[in-house]
Amino acid sequence: MRRASLKKEGKVVHQTSPEIGGMGHSVKRKEDLRFLQGKGNYVDDVQLPDMVFGHLVRSPYAHARLKSINTEKAKQLPGVLAVITGEDLAKSNLAWMPTLFFDKQMVLATGKVLFQSQEVAFVVAEDSYIAADAAELVEVEYEELPVLVDPHKALDPSAPILRDDREEKSNHIFHWEVGDREATDKAIQSAAVKAEVHAFFQRCHPAPLETCGCVADFNRATGRLTIYLTSQAPHAHRTLFSIVGGIPENNIRVISPDIGGGFGNKVPIYPGYVCAVVASLTLGRPVKWIETRSENLQSTGFARDYHMTAELAAGADGKIQALRVKTLADHGAFNAAAQPTKFPAGLFSICTGAYDLPSAFCEVDGVYTNKAPGGIAYRCSFRVTEAAYLIERAVDVLAQELKIDPVELRMKNFIPPDKFPYKSPLGWSYDSGNYAETMKVALDKVGYQELRKEQAEKRKNGELMGIGISSFVEIVGAGPGHTFDIAGIKMFDSCEIRVHPTGKAICRMGTKSQGQGHETTYAQIVAQELGIPAADVTVEEGDTDTAPYGLGTYASRSTPVSGAATAMAARKIQDKAKKIAAHLLECSADDLEWEPGKFSVKGAPSKSKSIQDIAFAAYTNMPAGMEPGLEAVDYYDPPNLTFPHGTYICVVDIDRGTGEVKVRRFVAVDDCGNIINPMIVEGQIHGGLTEGLAIAFMQQIDYDANGNVQGGSFMDYLLPTAVETPHWETGKTCSPSPHHPFGAKGVGESPNVGSPAAFVNAVVDALSHLGVKHIDMPIAPWKVWNILKEKGVVN
Amino acid sequence: MQIEKTFQVKEPIDKVWDLLRDPIRVAACVPGAKITEKLDDKTYKGSISVKVGPSVTDYKGELEIVRLDPQLHEIEILGRGQDIRGRGSASMKMTGKLRALDGDSTEVASISEINVIGILAQMGSRVINEVSNIIFAQFTKNMQAQLVQGANTAEAETKPLSATSVAWQAAKGVFRKES
Repeated sequence: MRRASLKKEGKVVHQTSPEIGGMGHSVKRKEDLRFLQGKGNYVDDVQLPDMVFGHLVRSPYAHARLKSINTEKAKQLPGVLAVITGEDLAKSNLAWMPTLFFDKQMVLATGKVLFQSQEVAFVVAEDSYIAADAAELVEVEYEELPVLVDPHKALDPSAPILRDDREEKSNHIFHWEVGDREATDKAIQSAAVKAEVHAFFQRCHPAPLETCGCVADFNRATGRLTIYLTSQAPHAHRTLFSIVGGIPENNIRVISPDIGGGFGNKVPIYPGYVCAVVASLTLGRPVKWIETRSENLQSTGFARDYHMTAELAAGADGKIQALRVKTLADHGAFNAAAQPTKFPAGLFSICTGAYDLPSAFCEVDGVYTNKAPGGIAYRCSFRVTEAAYLIERAVDVLAQELKIDPVELRMKNFIPPDKFPYKSPLGWSYDSGNYAETMKVALDKVGYQELRKEQAEKRKNGELMGIGISSFVEIVGAGPGHTFDIAGIKMFDSCEIRVHPTGKAICRMGTKSQGQGHETTYAQIVAQELGIPAADVTVEEGDTDTAPYGLGTYASRSTPVSGAATAMAARKIQDKAKKIAAHLLECSADDLEWEPGKFSVKGAPSKSKSIQDIAFAAYTNMPAGMEPGLEAVDYYDPPNLTFPHGTYICVVDIDRGTGEVKVRRFVAVDDCGNIINPMIVEGQIHGGLTEGLAIAFMQQIDYDANGNVQGGSFMDYLLPTAVETPHWETGKTCSPSPHHPFGAKGVGESPNVGSPAAFVNAVVDALSHLGVKHIDMPIAPWKVWNILKEKGVVN
Repeated sequence: MQIEKTFQVKEPIDKVWDLLRDPIRVAACVPGAKITEKLDDKTYKGSISVKVGPSVTDYKGELEIVRLDPQLHEIEILGRGQDIRGRGSASMKMTGKLRALDGDSTEVASISEINVIGILAQMGSRVINEVSNIIFAQFTKNMQAQLVQGANTAEAETKPLSATSVAWQAAKGVFRKES
């Protein structure tokens, strides 16, 4: 029972020394040494001899027929090497490419364009300035077509059919439903109390610090194609490039160097990548293509854009009986969602949240509109953020209907700790958790009762103060291969560990860090399992020529899946090390006991061999008949997903004069099971909360009636700075995952998943006495001010 | 987007009306605009170049006088153009109305419904508003000059606005509003 015995009550049993730096140590991030010195190596840092540069010509129209493209003037500009159009690609059957979700997407437009900023032509030139200038010289004649912006009108008979390439002449993409419709309808019909909320989770964009880009380098002599790529999933991308491009997979090497943030934005394959590859194949020279900020915001994977309705049915006692959810998903021009193939709405069916509901039913319809394609999972495990936001909003509305405290309502309905593993009405098996305990820690930390008293006092004086609670549940770590795959490839992940003769090690992974600190945390897992100091373990990711195959980093899956593979590979090494130790100590392996870093003979602790001694022996003095070396690889297919959870409490004050919301306090208590590196977890939570703040108050990719992007630059799509960001107060509880090798659950996405509801609930709570039940994000001051005006609070 | 503008000129209403009903003379007052061809009494071909920051848009299209009411001194114009390099389009429906004031002055009131598609539209209404303010300020100045000097001698500023000055003035406008 090694898995269970590693941690008890959330405490690390084998606590390693700080020198070893295993689980639970706040080891400083190894990668920061180069990042903080400006010595990172990003795709745009790649310089190759003879390299040339690509630039995309994009459509100004949201929906228009392409009448003609004149590339002559562009081609005449000195330094221009090629101008590629959709018609050129069509000759090699590359004008369209498959998306990650059973749809196809235009690489370069043929026939018509379907969203503003769509890729129309690709210019290649000796330098990036010439390429950009030449792109201006490409003359495109368009004929405007009626534009479809509102997804609610997508299925109207009068709506233009956007995708005339499809057999089905409709803007409808999919209908998906799960749960017991009949029982749910019945429960809602006969409910004593009902609550309903229409919540629009606006279209957002991850806006990573580094935009997307690539350098495609086809070597005509060797026939090998090397692609330096901003990729969260380099192995899967290599396979897709091979299948779509018809290039033998052994002749493709994808290298993801340092990645400056991904958040799901770097999971899809973008037309610019394909164009650069085609250009390199054509010219036989390396081609670099790097997006501008506006291109990134306007054309690459957006997130959310879910128009959701939730209805809750409850008894007069506040026990929730049923949840019914109906959602309209706006996918833009192509369904370029990156999610497991059995789940067109991702893991949205986690929408019953932390609550023990007898019945639930959830249905989602996806439609096309004249907007950029998506939607990807922005720092979230496939639509979990939308689900968490919806249920946490709905529960607050129900508390309003019942006129009881939202904490009391939650406590009354939490899944009790003794019900785990818990089978949810929408089909998930929650691994572990103690929601009430986490809630209590958060309430104590924030001083909930005092805050409620203060709020009551302030209301008497007409001051606006609100307290918002979100007790969210996540579902991460996809996933069991029997249920989860991306484009057919099972969602396992991998780790290969090689221990060198001197006892140092290298660890290669199927995942790819985009800033999460993998070089430190994976090393700590090896340190924990083998006792080799984390400082002596090099972690390498992102090179498909050297790393074992894996599905990459997104959906908080690195720790639950690759982290597990690391532990399992290390345990294989430990098993071999034990045999070598027995050989060196001239005893039976059964007589040995392990403590981090060494095997010693039971009852004779002075007779021991360190892992370093053993590593050396593995190459110099192995037992007769044993294979030399000390390495192992593990492909880990998790038995279940993991279910991190938390309670977030937000306190806001609202300026009556301006409608400005000030976040006074924010307490985040997370439960992500056993923690590898507390400092990194803390950093992840700070980052995710800041992104959640931005989503709640500042960010939206909106479109006007003509399909013009209204959030296409940082002028309109706002990022919070230190000025807007409040002080975050964090705390934790620990419910180890029973099925994970070291009880971890993953944490990177929790703060982004859990926080939007806390912010919105706080603002609505501040205005609830005025009859306000819901406000859609982003809650900008003008929205609040308009409400205050409508309610007669301001003139 | 609707933009309403009202200004006064120190000229009698008939003189102002003579200018306003002649698209060629009106276009000469708009920075960056010109009429290239008269198709018939009501329809003209023309172009306008608008520079905002690094973005230059050369709209080429048609202008149609939808309604001309000399009694009420009202004119309704429909303009529609596409950028010559396919970077977007714009259309405008403008209603102009003159009103005689004391002392041989005239009030010019206009309501323009503007619809922009493409990069300019992404700049958002605040920038388009500021740009149109600048264009309009230039327009009224040029129009005054035309009225004073007469149609033939007018050497109005017809070059497109300089990128930096428009961007800078637009930016100032934005910041002024927010501060």
